[in-house]
Amino acid sequence: MKLIRLLLACAFVGFLAAPLHAASRKKAGLNLFCWSEYVPQEVIDGFTKETGIKVSVENYASNEEMLAKLLAGGAHYDLIQPSEYTTEALIKAGKLEELNLANIPNIKNLAPEFTKLPHDPEGKYSVPWMAGSVGIVVNTAKVKTPVKGYGDLFDGTHKKRIVVLNDNREIVSWALSFLDHSVNDITPETLEQCKPVLEKWLPQVKVYDSDSPKTELLNGDVDLGIVWSGEAAILFKKNKKFQYLLPSEHAHRFIDSLAIPKGATNKENAEKFINYILRPEVSVKISEAFPYTNPNAEARKLLTKAQLANPASYPPGDPKLETFSDIGKMAKDIDKLVTDLKGQ
Amino acid sequence: MLLNPATANQRRPGFLGWLLMTPMVLWLVAFVVVPTAILLVYSFCQRDELGQVVYHFSWENYRRIFIDSDTGHFGTVYWTITLRSIIYATFTTGACLLLGYPVAWFIGRAPERRRNLLLTLVMVPFWTSFLVRTYAWIIILSTDGLLNSFLQYTHLISEPFEMLYTPGAVVLGLIYNYLPFFILPVYGSIEKLDGSLIEASFDLGAGPLRTFQRVILPLTWPGIVAGILIVFIPAIGMFAITQLMGGGIKPTIGEVIQNQFLQARDWPFGAALGMTLMILFAAVYWFTARRQQAV
Repeated sequence: MKLIRLLLACAFVGFLAAPLHAASRKKAGLNLFCWSEYVPQEVIDGFTKETGIKVSVENYASNEEMLAKLLAGGAHYDLIQPSEYTTEALIKAGKLEELNLANIPNIKNLAPEFTKLPHDPEGKYSVPWMAGSVGIVVNTAKVKTPVKGYGDLFDGTHKKRIVVLNDNREIVSWALSFLDHSVNDITPETLEQCKPVLEKWLPQVKVYDSDSPKTELLNGDVDLGIVWSGEAAILFKKNKKFQYLLPSEHAHRFIDSLAIPKGATNKENAEKFINYILRPEVSVKISEAFPYTNPNAEARKLLTKAQLANPASYPPGDPKLETFSDIGKMAKDIDKLVTDLKGQ
Repeated sequence: MLLNPATANQRRPGFLGWLLMTPMVLWLVAFVVVPTAILLVYSFCQRDELGQVVYHFSWENYRRIFIDSDTGHFGTVYWTITLRSIIYATFTTGACLLLGYPVAWFIGRAPERRRNLLLTLVMVPFWTSFLVRTYAWIIILSTDGLLNSFLQYTHLISEPFEMLYTPGAVVLGLIYNYLPFFILPVYGSIEKLDGSLIEASFDLGAGPLRTFQRVILPLTWPGIVAGILIVFIPAIGMFAITQLMGGGIKPTIGEVIQNQFLQARDWPFGAALGMTLMILFAAVYWFTARRQQAV
């Protein structure tokens, strides 16, 4: 018993010391807080080799998780990777540092359609990392009827054969698109209209998974899915039977950017990193590892024909794509709607 | 616990006793009392646009749990979800009781030198993270997974079974993860059971069933109660296994609360749900404790 007490006491002292440890993390170098499965180790090593700046990496799995850790304080990040609606909210709340563009000359490599984006109209706070969409992936070996949009997917013939992202805002945006509303047209009235649609759709879903919906498709647990385009691109690379398409109604496009949180200790190092990844030969490595849509026009020139022909990375034609904007407190109503429907 | 037998006879712990208790008390204050107090405060707050907590007193979070905003009547959503979690936890606890008691009995009655080996075997799974072990179950149970492939290979079935992402899979995952937690306390009470009491019961003419019912069960009851509490209460709040093996179709209360803290970023509402659940747990504990006293 005494030994146990002693161990507990030691553990307690350890916990007390933890904040000191956290404070010591506020160090020179670069503290990168990024999505899991999004920044290749090769790129980080290359940056350290060239500049001598040590990079410590911490990962998150959703914008909300990132916000929770960033706003709780305690940890010090120099560079974060928010999606467009989170970037917008952070800019609104004054939580981002203005970039010194003189330190980022490679910004000229960005394709014009990826500059001055709605979430950061002057391009002062963020630099696009990768863009992608949310669309439908179909296992064409199992599903023979054509699926063109959300309406076909949820027509009742694919009951319990569907995986969708476990993300309430995404789920509601599909119903909004189906009803021909903008994905950002979120009011109590439009949510009320979404309710009967989702009431019909959600019981047909077999799995909700945001982390790795490709797994259920590969395991044969489901035949169709609404997934991130990057996941679909990887599936397509593994087997051509997994076809990706953007729903005929509307599709959500996301743009993940690099941004520097207010009060970052190593702002210049962060800008160096942004400038480094904007080099075409570096950016192309990111595309190879994570086949999303590369916003870097110079890097795209270095991609192979096969990479450019992957419809999940570079959708053909001129699809109707919409980005999310910050919706503030309506997030609560969305959560309530979906929780209520799932809970029944 | 106390240093010499003289102080052990005192009803109230002396200074030394309290001193030895200090780490434990500090531990409880720092990691139970303070966090619970924070939850209680948060549960009456609200969230701002960015999901940060705003200290503006409101009953709104509790109202959302109890009242349906559309009809203005009693809201059933969160209670349906809680009830589902309780049903999962009940099945889990029941299965742990049926499977775990015989195992604990076997280990507790085994020769002393083999007991440690057997106990180690019960503990071995803890050397691997429960998430990894849950993923292993996913590989076994999925439609093109190991079990289905095996059954099809041996021609026991022609079409694969849909096992994963069903309530059955959730309960299986819960039983698998919580069984050791049930075996250990029950083993503790069985090991202490005096064999001569059982012999005496047989000598006095009681059959095996009667001996079990009148002697063994009452004497191992504290272990069983401890096992039930250790399995039942965490099983209600579990979110990772239910999410991974249930596919998140019918969320449990643990998933809903976790979702409030990470995805919905509505900490005050999550705190209110947590507080409500905690009061429910306290009530369960209170009833069990009273029952235990009555036996």
